[in-house]
Amino acid sequence: MAQSFASVSSAVRRSPQMPDHNFRYWIIAPSVFLLLLIGLFPLIYAFVVSFQQITMTDYDTSFAGLVNYQALFSDQRLWESILHTIVITVIALPVELILGLALAYLFLEKMYGKQIFISLIVLPTVISPIVSGATWRLLFDQRYGPINQVLSWIAGREVVMLWTIEPILVYPAILICEIWQWTPFMFLILLAALSSVDKSLTEAAELDGAGFWRIFLKIELPAIWPVMAIAILIRGVDLFRIFDMVWALTGGGPGTYTETISIYTYVQGFRQFETSYTAAIAFLIVALMSFVVTWAIRRMGLAK
Amino acid sequence: MVAMSSGKREGRMSLLKKIALTASAAIVTAGLTSAAWAESAAERAVKEAQKYKGQTITIVWEAGLQSLDPLNFSGPLWEKLTGIKVKVVEVQTAEMFTKIMQEYRAGTGAYDALNVIPAWMPDLANAGALEVLDPYVQKYGYGDELQKIAATYRDNQMKVDGKIFGFPDDGDVFVMYYRKDVFGDAKVQEAFKAKTGRDLAVPKNWKDFGETGAALTEILKPQNMYGAAFFRQPPYTMFMFQERFRNEGGKFFDAESMKATINSDVGVKVLTEMRNENKFMPPGVEQWGFVENLAAFMAGQTAMTISWPPYGRWAAGYGTDEKALSWVPKSTVAGKVGYAMPPGGHPELAAGFALSVASTSKNKDAAYLFIQWLNSEDISLQRVKLPTALRDPFRDSHFTDPGYLALWPDAKDYLAALQAGSKSGLLDLSLLQTDKYEEVLRQAIGKLWAGEDPKKILDAAAGEWDAITKKIGVDKQKAVYANWASKSGAYPQ
Repeated sequence: MAQSFASVSSAVRRSPQMPDHNFRYWIIAPSVFLLLLIGLFPLIYAFVVSFQQITMTDYDTSFAGLVNYQALFSDQRLWESILHTIVITVIALPVELILGLALAYLFLEKMYGKQIFISLIVLPTVISPIVSGATWRLLFDQRYGPINQVLSWIAGREVVMLWTIEPILVYPAILICEIWQWTPFMFLILLAALSSVDKSLTEAAELDGAGFWRIFLKIELPAIWPVMAIAILIRGVDLFRIFDMVWALTGGGPGTYTETISIYTYVQGFRQFETSYTAAIAFLIVALMSFVVTWAIRRMGLAK
Repeated sequence: MVAMSSGKREGRMSLLKKIALTASAAIVTAGLTSAAWAESAAERAVKEAQKYKGQTITIVWEAGLQSLDPLNFSGPLWEKLTGIKVKVVEVQTAEMFTKIMQEYRAGTGAYDALNVIPAWMPDLANAGALEVLDPYVQKYGYGDELQKIAATYRDNQMKVDGKIFGFPDDGDVFVMYYRKDVFGDAKVQEAFKAKTGRDLAVPKNWKDFGETGAALTEILKPQNMYGAAFFRQPPYTMFMFQERFRNEGGKFFDAESMKATINSDVGVKVLTEMRNENKFMPPGVEQWGFVENLAAFMAGQTAMTISWPPYGRWAAGYGTDEKALSWVPKSTVAGKVGYAMPPGGHPELAAGFALSVASTSKNKDAAYLFIQWLNSEDISLQRVKLPTALRDPFRDSHFTDPGYLALWPDAKDYLAALQAGSKSGLLDLSLLQTDKYEEVLRQAIGKLWAGEDPKKILDAAAGEWDAITKKIGVDKQKAVYANWASKSGAYPQ
């Protein structure tokens, strides 16, 4: 019986009327091809362009060697922009995490109007970053903005703080805007993560006399770590790519003081039309980010 | 007298007939031609454009108030006269160059006509983004009316390498606006004399401006008024630096070596003085743009300012009842504003606009006829008088038009100031890749307000300029600079 079944199966398989085993690959091939075309082709094209010398006035598509990549290393403004981006990232990310976690803890317990409060807290996240930046720019305005006005009322005299011009104030202005907008994102994710922690474990620990920090470090943090790690990774990458909010708030100024790597790339590519050089910058960033993300994923144990 | 033979007589008669016929033909032809060109350039453009009825042309225009002209006046009127629809693509000034170049590179033909800042013209022309207009000017007989554009704009904002790429369409020039009532107030004059030892007068140089502004700020403190204020945001201040630097004797480059010389003592002096002046200006002036400065002047909070021509019209109250201008503060200084040249006497012809045709346009003739019509003597006069106009007088006839002179009591002084400015004005620096050089200046201004040392700022800026020049090609840029510097409006004469 088994033998006859096997022979029947074999015959079926060999039958020209039956579908090919590779049929499933053919079915998905058009979608994969489209995805590769949209995703991979521009990448390859940009890579090719990075070895040419296309500028505003020269459309030289001949191979220019590594001249653009060599120029990267002597471009002080490029490295300064990377530094500015790192500064924003390393300050904003932990603050958003801590504030988001604190807010999540606050909303863990049942409270009257909880859903409404959560909806209000999440509102900044749904605003477009460029609108957020433009709005904060108005808020910080010396002549028409309410922030300095309120500070003046508190101080009892006119307070002149040029938030988008004075070097000592311009990064706080960016960070205030950034943290205001994206802390709710962390809050939502961490609230969901904390809500899924087994309450019986924390209750048992409390009964055994464990304090808040012990419970957090030994029970809750390990439980929410995978989700928290993902949130940190996503926000970290977003912060490294930051463009619109800073562009609207400071334009990268004063001078190039708050110019992030995305802003610098935009200026080079779309203002200065240094097309090939911009492609080289883009690949430098891809290389850096790939290294950092890979390291982060391994370090955070997300690849297990 | 020997009688001519009949054969010779017949031959002479034949020759005479030929001469008479040829002369008659020439006279008739000349007459017909004159009749054809007797109509104005505007009428001619309308007549020729009617064969393109039903088409739509797209024109790039500065976003905001500037666009009210083609949206509410010239666009609908052109459609009524010719049947050609006008689609206005509004673009922020800072994005216009980028958009035009991007469109050119893409080659989609999305834009037909363009507004181009004249300083960009060499770059756009050399890149091939602009259509050469000489054949169209010839074909549609616009040469004569082109000559009637005020000389400064006509001779400096129209051509690249001898070819026409745009029609100057906006007489931008910086004007000093001052409060006549303040300067004429006996008590203020007395207090000023006591403070400075000299008579109060509209400053003619920047040293006097600094002293006058500071003194007036102290004297006018009880009235909550300041001696002066300017727009200090980098994109605007960049023009003011160009003007002031040259008025003080500075040169942008060493003509022989093409090394940047903006970091000379003159440059350092200009930046230092600019920062010092902020001390007697309203707090936060470093953040002021066009609107903030306008609002302060219109509200009577500043005794002096420098800006583009619309300030003068709006300060006089002209047009501010229009709905489109509801954002302009109501003037509290109408009738109190005087007009003068900025200190130094040579104002910057800051920015400006020229009308061009995109080289990738699929409707070049239709686009050209629209810009000829817009720029013509008849229509341009109507446009510069629009209450909401940001287009400023740029033809000789604009400055002397009886209708314009009658718009408000001080209009004649206003137009006289604009005309004087157009004659003594300084051109924006225009080289290959001008925007790169200007970007360096904008950043330098930003650093100045952030508190960096002026010498350090300008040394860095000069270094960046030299790097840009080296990348473009020193000899190539030198030739372009030499051509620009040879113009009468490049440096004060």
